[in-house]
Amino acid sequence: MEINQIYVNLPVKDVQKTREFWTKLGFSINEQFSDEKAICVIMKQDHIYTMFLKEEFFQTFTDRPVAKGDTTQTLLAIGVNSREEVDQMLKTATENGGSKYSELRDYGWMYQKTFADLDGHQWEVLFSDMSQLPAEF
Amino acid sequence: MKVNQIYVNLPVKDIQKTKEFWTNVGFSINEQFSDDKAVCVVLNDTIYVMFLTEEYFQTFSERPVPKGDTTQVLVAIGLNSREEVDQVVNAAVANGAYQHEEPQDYGWMYQNSFWDINGHGWNVTFADMSQMPSQP
Repeated sequence: MEINQIYVNLPVKDVQKTREFWTKLGFSINEQFSDEKAICVIMKQDHIYTMFLKEEFFQTFTDRPVAKGDTTQTLLAIGVNSREEVDQMLKTATENGGSKYSELRDYGWMYQKTFADLDGHQWEVLFSDMSQLPAEF
Repeated sequence: MKVNQIYVNLPVKDIQKTKEFWTNVGFSINEQFSDDKAVCVVLNDTIYVMFLTEEYFQTFSERPVPKGDTTQVLVAIGLNSREEVDQVVNAAVANGAYQHEEPQDYGWMYQNSFWDINGHGWNVTFADMSQMPSQP
């Protein structure tokens, strides 16, 4: 079985601020799937999207209460195309209200930095060069 | 900016049971990225889910792993037909998941859902974008 696309759905407090944050990071918005209750960020056209839903709207899709930001259910690792893109995204994120939550990890074949976004969702931005992956990983 | 791949990382209680569950649902395992602390499920060649033992997951975040009484994330995955959607959800339910709500058919989109054996929520969809109304 193979999927053709993924939508990662996350709750947020303020859709407009979230839109500004992800736009500044350099991503495009799918306006067709965005409104005042939700914003659809295009991470890879036709394949990878993140939907940020206002907490009240997100709540309608689950019986359990929305997490209050004091726990972590998911860590989202996204691959970009160079170390420079990793650095640039972290710089922009931290300049716009995001916060670094762990130190750089540089394994040679993989270079990774992390940030928590405006709502505390945790992103691990990585560049990996699979040709350099050691045989004994 | 665009990403070239995504790894959705989620905490689980039992790696072996999680591996069996997702294999039975129909997905492949990337063995190179799997061991006794983590299993890497291949959703396609750029989209992966890493299930980590709670203890290992905890080493990547200062905030505690939730106890399954809240929701921070819901993952929606698109398949290639209504039949595949039902096949995945039925296999999940047969292997310990529970169906979260009845399937919904909007014409251009068919959606079914399950909560897996670790309590993570999955929406499984088939979308025919050519049939999408101009005002969804």
